[in-house]
Amino acid sequence: MSPSPIRPIAKPDGAEILAALTQAARERILILDGAMGTMIQRLGFDESNFRGERFVDSAKPLQGNNDLLILTEPQAIEDIHYAYAKAGADIMETNTFSATSIAQADYGMEHVVYDLNYEGARIVRRAADRATAEDGRRRFVAGALGPTNRTASISPDVNNPGYRGVTFDELRIAYAEQLHGLIDGGADIILIETIFDTLNAKAAVFATEEVFAEKGVRLPIMISGTITDLSGRTLSGQTPTAFWYSLRHASPFTIGLNCALGADLMRGHVAEISAVADTFVCAYPNAGLPNEFGGYDETPELMAEQLEGFAAAGLINVVGGCCGSTPDHIKAIADAVGKHPPRQIPEVPPLMRLSGLEPFTLTKDIPFVNVGERTNVTGSARFRKLITAGDYTAALAVARDQVENGAQIIDINMDEGLIDSKKVMVEFLNLIAAEPDIARVPIMIDSSKWEVIEAGLQCVQGKALVNSISMKEGEEAFLHHARLCRAYGAAVVVMAFDEQGQADTLERKVEICTRAYKLLTEKIGFPPEDIVFDPNVFAVATGIEEHNNYGNDFIGAAKQITETLPHVHISGGISNLSFSFRGNEPVREAMHAVFLYYAIQNGMDMGIVNAGQLAVYESIDKELRDACEDVILNRRPDSTDRLLEIAEKYRGTGGKEAAAKDLSWREKSVEERIGYAMVNGITEFIDADTEEARQKADRPLHVIEGPLMAGMSIVGDLFGSGKMFLPQVVKSARVMKQAVALLLPYMEAEKLANGGAEGERQSAGKVLMATVKGDVHDIGKNIVGVVLACNNYEIIDLGVMVPVAKILQTARDENVDIIGLSGLITPSLDEMAHVAAEMEREGFDIPLLIGGATTSRVHTAVKIHPRYERGQAVYVNDASRAVGVVSNLLSPDTKVTFIENVRAEYAKAAAAHLRAEEEKQRLPLVKARANAFKPDWDGYTPPVPKFLGTKVFDDYDLETLAKYIDWTPFFQTWELKGRYPAILSDEKQGEAARQLFADAQKMLAQIISEKWFHPRAVLGFWPANAVGDDIRLYKDEGREEELATLFTLRQQLSKRGDNPNVALADFVSPRDGGKPDYVGAFVVTAGIEEVAIAERFEKDNDDYSSILVKALADRFAEAFAEKLHEDVRRNYWGYAHNETLAPEELIGENYRGIRPAPGYPAQPDHTEKTTLFNLLDAENAAGVRLTESYAMWPGSSVSGIYLSHPDAYYFGVAKVERDQVLDYAARKGMSVAEVERWLSPILNYIPAPTIVAAE
Amino acid sequence: MTAALQHRPDAIPVTLVTDASALVPMDRDTAYLKLPPNSGHGHADGQHCAACAGRDDVRTMLFELLEGARQGLHPAFTRVVVDASGLGDTTKVIAALTGKLPAQALRDHTVARRFYLVG
Repeated sequence: MSPSPIRPIAKPDGAEILAALTQAARERILILDGAMGTMIQRLGFDESNFRGERFVDSAKPLQGNNDLLILTEPQAIEDIHYAYAKAGADIMETNTFSATSIAQADYGMEHVVYDLNYEGARIVRRAADRATAEDGRRRFVAGALGPTNRTASISPDVNNPGYRGVTFDELRIAYAEQLHGLIDGGADIILIETIFDTLNAKAAVFATEEVFAEKGVRLPIMISGTITDLSGRTLSGQTPTAFWYSLRHASPFTIGLNCALGADLMRGHVAEISAVADTFVCAYPNAGLPNEFGGYDETPELMAEQLEGFAAAGLINVVGGCCGSTPDHIKAIADAVGKHPPRQIPEVPPLMRLSGLEPFTLTKDIPFVNVGERTNVTGSARFRKLITAGDYTAALAVARDQVENGAQIIDINMDEGLIDSKKVMVEFLNLIAAEPDIARVPIMIDSSKWEVIEAGLQCVQGKALVNSISMKEGEEAFLHHARLCRAYGAAVVVMAFDEQGQADTLERKVEICTRAYKLLTEKIGFPPEDIVFDPNVFAVATGIEEHNNYGNDFIGAAKQITETLPHVHISGGISNLSFSFRGNEPVREAMHAVFLYYAIQNGMDMGIVNAGQLAVYESIDKELRDACEDVILNRRPDSTDRLLEIAEKYRGTGGKEAAAKDLSWREKSVEERIGYAMVNGITEFIDADTEEARQKADRPLHVIEGPLMAGMSIVGDLFGSGKMFLPQVVKSARVMKQAVALLLPYMEAEKLANGGAEGERQSAGKVLMATVKGDVHDIGKNIVGVVLACNNYEIIDLGVMVPVAKILQTARDENVDIIGLSGLITPSLDEMAHVAAEMEREGFDIPLLIGGATTSRVHTAVKIHPRYERGQAVYVNDASRAVGVVSNLLSPDTKVTFIENVRAEYAKAAAAHLRAEEEKQRLPLVKARANAFKPDWDGYTPPVPKFLGTKVFDDYDLETLAKYIDWTPFFQTWELKGRYPAILSDEKQGEAARQLFADAQKMLAQIISEKWFHPRAVLGFWPANAVGDDIRLYKDEGREEELATLFTLRQQLSKRGDNPNVALADFVSPRDGGKPDYVGAFVVTAGIEEVAIAERFEKDNDDYSSILVKALADRFAEAFAEKLHEDVRRNYWGYAHNETLAPEELIGENYRGIRPAPGYPAQPDHTEKTTLFNLLDAENAAGVRLTESYAMWPGSSVSGIYLSHPDAYYFGVAKVERDQVLDYAARKGMSVAEVERWLSPILNYIPAPTIVAAE
Repeated sequence: MTAALQHRPDAIPVTLVTDASALVPMDRDTAYLKLPPNSGHGHADGQHCAACAGRDDVRTMLFELLEGARQGLHPAFTRVVVDASGLGDTTKVIAALTGKLPAQALRDHTVARRFYLVG
């Protein structure tokens, strides 16, 4: 606090102010003033005005420190306030938005904070008195507390989300200083405004309460948050309702919002607050958007009109303006809203209302709140291990899982003897705050130590639940803690514990809780709905007779407490109950379920339980359920013995019976059954149904053309309209294929009998599909094939690595209507262009479809389309577009227009591409090299690997690898877009994703138990040093004899700020620097077995499983690469032996070192794989070889090099210039034309035709 | 499908364009953002008014793209082209896209995790 001698003239009478304000606000909509900054800007003050005489010697520039004008241009500020008063403002804000020591630190003005606030309030008071003297209307001075320029619940550093730039206490102290000045200067109201971070506001509320207590006054409080983006959330991520619940404990005179991009954009959020807040609502938006001229685009009339809409809808009680508004705006607003009555405060029932980023209200509709217990070190051994090991990333994943699994609140407990509980609680809560998918639920801060609880309360912006406080240490400590919980805005769990000890009998439980209730509600006004009693769950069936009634005691106490103490809740830790059956989970689950069944009926509405491990009461086997009931309700003297007797029988059963499937659809007609089976992808009955339909039909063909096509067309429609997703469609196709397979022999027989081809099934068209020569990837192609087949196209699939001659020959022989090409690696782009040219040469004119991961519209337009003028090449980027494109191309009605559109589109794309290419500036190679990435090699010693040469891994354990699978790309393969695991609960795709995931898990289990794959790998390390842009590998540590060279390409991007133009060689110690360095390399594969298995499924007409097994093989290869890289970091190279990332965290690649692969952005040259494969002898060591396009066979393989430098990162070389290509070709000993061929996708120029190449 | 993922799987590449006349190939999976010059405020950008500060902050704009797609206001996208040709100096934009500009809101963390700068 400043030692300033200034003291208030008289102590304000807060009660009188509140009464006057409340009465006025009931009668009419009150008017708040408008923007200060906008008005100050109009005055055109310069540095000398800001400095005045007082700060003429200030070391830092002061212009822009608007608050300082209170001291240096007091008359100007007073005049602005006066203008607002005359415009109709009832409440006028002090110009003290940034008048805290935290915000003033930027200007070195911390020492004048008290004066700023004291004078800031005095000036408004003077302006108000002037206006009142003229018109007799009373005005109120609102002392404004801004957000400061730091956030208590958000880290300023996105790379370090647990960091905080300011603490709750620092804010509390800074705000207290400001509050002293404002109150001493005569503020009538405290306005906490423009809240970015609710935790800052909570600190302000806390400080306000403290200063009020110290000064013996209590002024009305106004609170105003800020929502500035489309998410409709505060800057700290809360919804408007969650924001209100977090600050409701301040019992403010108003709650509301300010500073949004115009009134219209604020309206929905104000409406939300208006509906939930049982206090007055205040809104003061910006005057629209700023325009280029420094003004705002909302005129006073327009803004008034919009805010009148708020008033007419009964949303507001106080209204004003923020940035851009002027006295004219305020006058117009006052005139407009004056015609409308103020908003009526709604009745809000007394329910427990908590919040994280989102609100949580415990209503009657929620019979029981699951509090997630997995983030409790005393309850979960796994979590305790993670926390003691400091593995916060994995610990966060546990929290995330709980929320995803439906926990409505998560319990955080760090009471472990070996760790600093307070520190860890703070660190973990700070990390949670940065995870929107965890932080959305309220937190239960759980500790037996008050200091840990209080530290936790200072970290959460939401309304938390404290677990727990009690009268163990007497009434005084109990009330002290309860008051603090209230001041931090938390609800509390009160343990049935007093000076005598824990309550065990029904009578003691009720007595203690009743006493606590009276103390809390009567002595300190604690809201009863925010009290949760925990009457102690104790173990039953322990063999000790006194314990037998513990279940009944709890249930009975719950009933009495909730009946006699209005609005309270009952909670308990359930797992204690079944302590004596440790190790027999089915029996424990059954006991918990039975206990909850009765406890919930008797008032228990919250519990710390593992939601994933709870049996459903009705589904428990009757014998077990009865035995549990006997024990819990203490119904017979021998109930413990009886439960013990049968307990063994249930160990490992889950105690449940399988739920019967709903088979009601089987009762419908055969046509309907077939349709149902197809839409739902059920193959179980399709053979019998198809046979029945065949017998009913005149001809087998009619079954296909009738019910089967009808079913497929429903599937097609649902897929087209986004109601079905790819995995489901592929499953439907499987049903179709099985049915057709059954009908085929009959159709053949019929054909023979008729002696001809008459009556053959008419397909909509024939499509030939192939993965081009040199490429082995076919999942996408297969999916497109299945989807087209579903739409009655006949598919001829030539598989992978298909030479152009075979494609064209088959096309001719089969008289196909369309050819579709697929490829994944970049050299396939060239091969596709080659196919197009060959089609042109051989006189084809049928459409050519282009698809696959590296293909693009621009590539098709520029490189493929011009080579095939007779026909039309069309880029198709996903399966869902394929049907539309093919049907357009094959329909005589639409074909011409469609092709015209495609051509126009390609002409545009090609022209744009050409212009872009011409204008792209690249650095000359010399300059790019001068701007290389240069780590500090002097202060760094590269780590030495544990071995040199290669090491082979054969038949790697599948179960281990499965843990390293990254599922997100798996879903992408099936065109389900989103991140795993969120995709599973996605509103639209969730069901399809869950089905697919269940099928994948099932197959995964089979793959592991039946050893479908035999993953192999080879890994090697060699001494290496960088020479220019290349990495030289040496035979031994002598580093004299060269073994091989890894050539690397350098970025030639220009205009990149401080970023270097990096090449992979930059991450390896240079030869001339003399520091020995090393490079590693690897090839991993899921094995060759996948191919045969996929074929077997295809033969069984099961494309779904065929695609599934391929997708899983790909995942295993990627997982293997991830796992091997981890082993390299931790062990084989060993530079990160302390690394403790859980498998799921590896996806984020937050580890040291990289493993770039040739053919990918950091080294786009696929031919580098040859060097890699030779070094590793990969074909013999791992059974992986390279195709002519440098694809790896088998396809589910990953290769790359390992670089260990801590600053190594993934980058894209992007486009290269001809100077680098010439240099690279010379270094590599390849012809320029050949280098240009392999690098064609990244050339920043159009290479000369090879014929005239004269290099 | 068979090489090391160079970035996290759902991260979205952002291409920064600084030359007004440069044409970048776009397709229907690409979202386009044009950064406005200084918002023309009465105060320096980022000072006092959070709402306006967000208006020319590339992170807020990227967040709104995500949010807009989530709410179905515009199609989903897998790439973003940011046109910074209207800005004199892109230092701040690059700092924002490489995690070096101090975060002011939770959304800045979301953006840091979901977008990465490719050039």
